[in-house]
Amino acid sequence: MSAQPFRLASGGLIDRGHQLEFSFDGTSYRGYAGDTLASALLANGVRLVGRSFKYHRPRGILSAGPEEPNALVELRSGARREPNSRATVVELFAGLAASSQNRWPSLAFDLLSLNGLVSPALVAGFYYKTFMWPASFWEKLYEPLIRRAAGLGRAAGAEDPDHYEKAFAFCDVLVIGAGPAGLSAALAAGRSGARVILCDEDFRLGGRLLAERREIGGRPGSEWLAATLAELASLPEVRIMPRTTVFGLYDHGVYGAVERVADHLPEPPAHQPRQRGWRIHARRAILAAGALERPIVFAGNDLPGVMLAGAVRSYVNRHGVLPGRESVLFTAGDDGWRTARDIAAAGGRVAAIVDSRPDDPARKALADKIGARLFAGGAVLRARGGRQLRAVTIRDASGAVTELACDLLAVSNGWNPTLHLTSHQNGKPAWNEELHCFVPAALPAGLAVAGSAAGRFTLAQALEDGARLGREATAEAGLAAKPAEPTLTTDPETNGLSPVWRVSGGKGKAFVDYQNDVTDKDVELAAREGFRPVEHLKRYTTLGMATDQGKTSNLAGLAIMAEQTGRTIPQTGTTTFRPPYTPVAIGALAGHHRGKDFRPVRLAPTHEWSKEQGAVFVEAGPWLRAQYYPKPGETDWLTTVNREVRAVRSSVGLCDVSTLGKIDIQGADAAEFLERVYSNGWKALPVGKARYGLMLREDGFVMDDGTTSRLGEQHFLMTTTTANAGKVMQHLEFCHQVLWPELDLRMVSVSEQWAQAAIAGPKARETLRGVVDPEHDLSDAAFPYLAARAVTVGGGIPARLFRISFSGELAYELAVPADHGDAMMRGLMQAGAAFGITPYGTEALGVLRIEKGHVAGNELNGQTTARDLGLGRMMSSKKDFIGRLMAGRAALLDQDRPALVGFKPAEPGQRLRAGAHFIGIGRSAEMANDEGYMTSVAYSPHLNHWIGLGLIRGGAARIGERVRAYDPVRNGDVVVEICSPVFVDPEGARLHG
Amino acid sequence: MAETATSPTAIAWVPRGAWSGSTRAGSFGAEGVSGIIATLLGGFGLATLIAGTGGASSLSQAVERRLGIVLPATPRIVRGQTHDAIWSGPEQWLLRAASRDGWSALLGELAAHAAVSEQSDARAALRLSGSQVRKVLAKGVMLDLHPAAFAVGDAALTSIAHVGVQLWRLPDGPDGPVFEILVARSMAGSFWSWFSASAAEFGCTVTAG
Amino acid sequence: MRITCPHCGARDAQEFSYLGAADPKRPDGMAASAAAMAEYVYQRDNPAGRHRELWYHGAGCHAWLVVTRDTRTHAIAAVEVAKARKAGAAAKVGAKA
Repeated sequence: MSAQPFRLASGGLIDRGHQLEFSFDGTSYRGYAGDTLASALLANGVRLVGRSFKYHRPRGILSAGPEEPNALVELRSGARREPNSRATVVELFAGLAASSQNRWPSLAFDLLSLNGLVSPALVAGFYYKTFMWPASFWEKLYEPLIRRAAGLGRAAGAEDPDHYEKAFAFCDVLVIGAGPAGLSAALAAGRSGARVILCDEDFRLGGRLLAERREIGGRPGSEWLAATLAELASLPEVRIMPRTTVFGLYDHGVYGAVERVADHLPEPPAHQPRQRGWRIHARRAILAAGALERPIVFAGNDLPGVMLAGAVRSYVNRHGVLPGRESVLFTAGDDGWRTARDIAAAGGRVAAIVDSRPDDPARKALADKIGARLFAGGAVLRARGGRQLRAVTIRDASGAVTELACDLLAVSNGWNPTLHLTSHQNGKPAWNEELHCFVPAALPAGLAVAGSAAGRFTLAQALEDGARLGREATAEAGLAAKPAEPTLTTDPETNGLSPVWRVSGGKGKAFVDYQNDVTDKDVELAAREGFRPVEHLKRYTTLGMATDQGKTSNLAGLAIMAEQTGRTIPQTGTTTFRPPYTPVAIGALAGHHRGKDFRPVRLAPTHEWSKEQGAVFVEAGPWLRAQYYPKPGETDWLTTVNREVRAVRSSVGLCDVSTLGKIDIQGADAAEFLERVYSNGWKALPVGKARYGLMLREDGFVMDDGTTSRLGEQHFLMTTTTANAGKVMQHLEFCHQVLWPELDLRMVSVSEQWAQAAIAGPKARETLRGVVDPEHDLSDAAFPYLAARAVTVGGGIPARLFRISFSGELAYELAVPADHGDAMMRGLMQAGAAFGITPYGTEALGVLRIEKGHVAGNELNGQTTARDLGLGRMMSSKKDFIGRLMAGRAALLDQDRPALVGFKPAEPGQRLRAGAHFIGIGRSAEMANDEGYMTSVAYSPHLNHWIGLGLIRGGAARIGERVRAYDPVRNGDVVVEICSPVFVDPEGARLHG
Repeated sequence: MAETATSPTAIAWVPRGAWSGSTRAGSFGAEGVSGIIATLLGGFGLATLIAGTGGASSLSQAVERRLGIVLPATPRIVRGQTHDAIWSGPEQWLLRAASRDGWSALLGELAAHAAVSEQSDARAALRLSGSQVRKVLAKGVMLDLHPAAFAVGDAALTSIAHVGVQLWRLPDGPDGPVFEILVARSMAGSFWSWFSASAAEFGCTVTAG
Repeated sequence: MRITCPHCGARDAQEFSYLGAADPKRPDGMAASAAAMAEYVYQRDNPAGRHRELWYHGAGCHAWLVVTRDTRTHAIAAVEVAKARKAGAAAKVGAKA
């Protein structure tokens, strides 16, 4: 382990007393608390950190921030391995293990860098051109090759062991960015008592103040920063959120943010999430996200050692790292000179300053002071080196060429405002000719932009904007702003700029988009081939489509296209952005909702009892329902289900039906309402009776069914299917509130209040007798089929008893308050023990109903009418109801529409499959011969063969006919006979026990 | 067929509360701290009251006469000696009784003035207090619960982690802010999964109320 | 997106579900024509701009709301309670029990 050869002896915002050991590609290094992975690598002289996407070119560290296109690394190992982490924003921690990605077999010796030699084949559009023919080669040859050659790291491939959270916040003023503008804004708003949230993606607040040597109010900027942070921390309504990126702006003042709670730790501390996804609701927001520096396009501009000039200042001033021994500055404006000055101040050597602008005596004097050779009106033609920068070729104003050895080239070409959020709602930025950049134009409601993000690049402007907008936002949020404080003075600065988009004439590739390996030649090719509009340019060359979203490349691409087509930049197009500003882990968006918590699960009040009985559960809508109850020794579900079905038909079975939707409907117009929402009639239903009801959608198709009971003259209890409970409630509320608000009607869901069990089979009444209090007469005469009445159980516990049957057997449904649901099941088991009472699940329930030809979810599939299902008689002709007119459309009355019938295999041993399509015997299996499909099948232990329900053209008129049930997916092709859908007890004798 | 079977009295009708199977008294999360105190509530009476068209004032008078509380017209909870009324939608309230003594008789009386639906077993109820209670709620509640925005007595119907809830704020107690939450009984387990994950970092003590 | 429920206050859009245009009136009663019903069920304007539409506050007070929204910007100009609207065609035709 070596010392840190590029670390300055002093300075920087690092804790030199706190050394951190870390590794990169298996080699151990040391850095300090306060380092990023990038600054620590640079301090150790590690400059080659990755290989490029397409050509596998050696790449280093370009920037010091979120815009980094090159230094993408994998962090950690095992299940926590995370690819594509930008080393420039990774906070160093002890034990951090990072590795380079997209190289094979090693970073230094990458065989695939030969891609660079065959690069003519890999130019823009190469996917479309090169690999088109023959088509079969694509899957087998081209794609696997390209996948190996081009990549972006490896996902962990194992379940993420960490957890993530969502959180919601509300504030008067959201300040995005904690540089000088954001801090001023937060302070101005916070002092007025506003609820302020201040977010910054960095782990240390201060923005560019951390990277620059500036003065505010006659003191070092760091003193102002410390005082401001201390005051903000003292304000109770100001919440400061470091490590939090505001990544998106949404409608009505809603902002998305991700807080990296534990990314800076080896693993999250106990009970802490890895990341937290925030939804922030802000009355007003101030975007103070600063600006991103722009590179220059020239040959070899991607070599490790070529860096943005502002990034160099960050490493020197913030991290105490001088990223090179021998520096050259290539600048198009005043800002770059600050880098030369700071390198010199830190004791570094600046060999040359190449300024694209003409000679200027003041600049000459400054260059002399720094000790650098000045190339005024010059340009860097080319950067050279193997795996890192060794020399630059400079062309001076006269055209003469000079070669200078160096290992650091700082490039300065002005800054682009970080205005991304202003365009998340389609806002187009506007080109500013004086500033040579796009600036925010039309702003989303509630958002203001301060400082560099608005193109106001000086420190004085940032402070002034922040203070002013902070006060304005306070006032707009309805609070009294404190009077303005005097504007703070700063040391003078100038920002003269004459941007250089590219330097032609150097030998070698000149990169526009580093991350996607898009060169200036690719943009020229796009121009030649007619892909000139910016959206075409982007898609043809993939410029700006990498994970960095073109933060360092979009403008240069536009500028080169403008030059190629003889237009200006604004004529060529604008850059717009969509969320997220930087990549966001899916985990942070999902929060708690993954795995078994993906969505809420509803459990019946009898769930624990079912578990004890050994139930296998199945998802039914949001519910977990008992599917079947295997007994020891039963290894096949069909054996279990057959036993359960036989028990119901021969003695008595018990099934939880708590999951059905239950809606309490009361009011003088309750019966009238049911008349309108159900297709059948309700007014004549006596109190104490239940009736089967069919509900249509307004377009005439069946929506739901269930039994509804009249508990009182003006009181009904409706049941819905388990799956449709929520939908039906919403529909009924619509019918009442929107269609017929004049009806006197009161509805509320009571689904959760009642536990309900079906007791079915010849011994159902006797079983029930053991549970229902003795004063209630359950005889057939006193409690006939379809009776529905209040009873009591357990000596006075209120209960409801319904004599309804889905199985065709003598059956009841007993409902008790949910707290007693568990006891009800135990009581029924006890009462039915003498009859061998058998719990049954949804599978047996399905078999029983298919044996009786009752329709359920498979038939109520949104494509069937009452007539299709043989329920045409349930459509009253005496009253209006939802769906009446549309159900009468000619096409829906067509005799040829598939209608419900039963099916049985021609050879009894054969298995039927739901989903099989019906085709006439002897006809070929093609769509033209399709006659319908099987909706439900079951093995009937009663008949000892498979049975099915299905929809077939002509329906009941074809009973006795044979057709093919064709199921190519499961290799099924069975001859079936069309029969009545009622397979068991067609006379209905069993209902009466 | 003769009605000869087990005697009803032989069945033990042991009630099972809404939180059974989801959680129990104890503590979880960060050790040595108790930023959250969760009290599982049970034994209360709960019913939906819906006034008929134009019937709100008759209902309100009946409730006031009988229980001494005025039905709130906005999303609030009005608390009385033994009964609370919580706004649950336009012309709709939840009536909560501290105990179920006389409960069905009371509902019978009120049925003359409103549609009354028994809901005593339909909700799992929880009281949350402690210094960190707003931080936990911020992980699920999409409402501004700042003391200035959500005053004592304010109530809301909303959702937490895709589970429908009704919640309200009670006067601050010795442990800090106090909220009560009603959750659909069937989703008590899913709610608790969210709650326990969210409260763990603050340390949580669970007691049965 | 946020919708200010007249009963519950400003809430995130995920508490609501969307139905569609608020103004088509159901042609109630036995005298209604199939053509009028087809129009009611299927014919909708698709304006770029102001749109009156129905939203259901399913995660809140269960009220159906009429939201006036600009389909281009999502700016919401008004939110009314659907039930409070003057009863539509139904009131004229609907015969009570």
